[in-house]
Amino acid sequence: MATRRSRLELIYDILLSIQNKGGRIKPTHLMYKSNLSHKLLNSYLEELMQRELVQIQEEFSRKKLKSTKTVVLTDKGIGFLAEYRRMRDFTNAFGL
Amino acid sequence: MYWLFYTPQWFNGWDIAFDLVGLLVTFLIAAYSWRIYGLNRENKFKYLSLAFLLVSLSLLVKAFSSSVLYYGGVREVIVTALGPAVGPELRFSEILYRSAFFAQMVTTLGAWLLIFFISQKSRARLNKLYEVSQIGLFVYLIVLISVVANFQYVVFYLTSVVLLALIVLNYYKNYLNTDGNSNAWRVLTSFMLIFFGNILFIFVSLWDTLYVFGEVFTLGGYLLLLWTYHSIVSR
Repeated sequence: MATRRSRLELIYDILLSIQNKGGRIKPTHLMYKSNLSHKLLNSYLEELMQRELVQIQEEFSRKKLKSTKTVVLTDKGIGFLAEYRRMRDFTNAFGL
Repeated sequence: MYWLFYTPQWFNGWDIAFDLVGLLVTFLIAAYSWRIYGLNRENKFKYLSLAFLLVSLSLLVKAFSSSVLYYGGVREVIVTALGPAVGPELRFSEILYRSAFFAQMVTTLGAWLLIFFISQKSRARLNKLYEVSQIGLFVYLIVLISVVANFQYVVFYLTSVVLLALIVLNYYKNYLNTDGNSNAWRVLTSFMLIFFGNILFIFVSLWDTLYVFGEVFTLGGYLLLLWTYHSIVSR
């Protein structure tokens, strides 16, 4: 049985989903990729924006003739992902 | 002067250098673990940091007491520095050396015990060994209290060896549970080397050259820990 993800793991999963999509992703796709509810994802995104780990950009879609939101991973976000991987390696190495 | 045990004279100074390397490595790991604790506020990282800090402290005390024992110059400096405060009565009596050895032993054993408890958790594999290791620890402590009066420094290294054996067992379980993770293997091997080093220290009174081999094994363990730290941090 899968264990409940910690807060930090959730943040990692969200940022990783964005990175795997080339650093920018639509909120709906992010919701599916990170396996979170709409409400929960929004609260996390708000926090991530406050911490400057992600940015929300509005882009005009010529196809749909309206502007759409895109979540973009910042340099600080990339740094967090690297730091988290190091932390996970350390945890595995010392069996914590 | 009080000597815990006699060591080869040509090796005097080398062991201090080895201890300082170990001190640096354990301090780096303690600092990194504390940094992670700052990120996720999980207590296990705080305790691991404290454990490695205790190892650093024990190595510092060992290096200090060894340098006082080996070099008259260091004794002179300490007497000059502390003389005005303590008075002309300051002498390097047995009690001072014993206090230093006691501090070294308490911090080392405290660190090993802490690392043992941190690395201890229920696993899917080797559950019987997990139970046996706990029972074994308590039985050993009872036996130790019974025989402690009959031994000298050997008791310290025996206790150290038992704790390190349990740590090695826990890290072996961790290695299996991480599906052969290379860093977990390095940590396992490094504690195994420190464990072998401590086994050799038990028999130093029989042949003093064993102290050199013990120190080399221990240094190897700390260098492997440094390799692990470097491979994690430089990723």
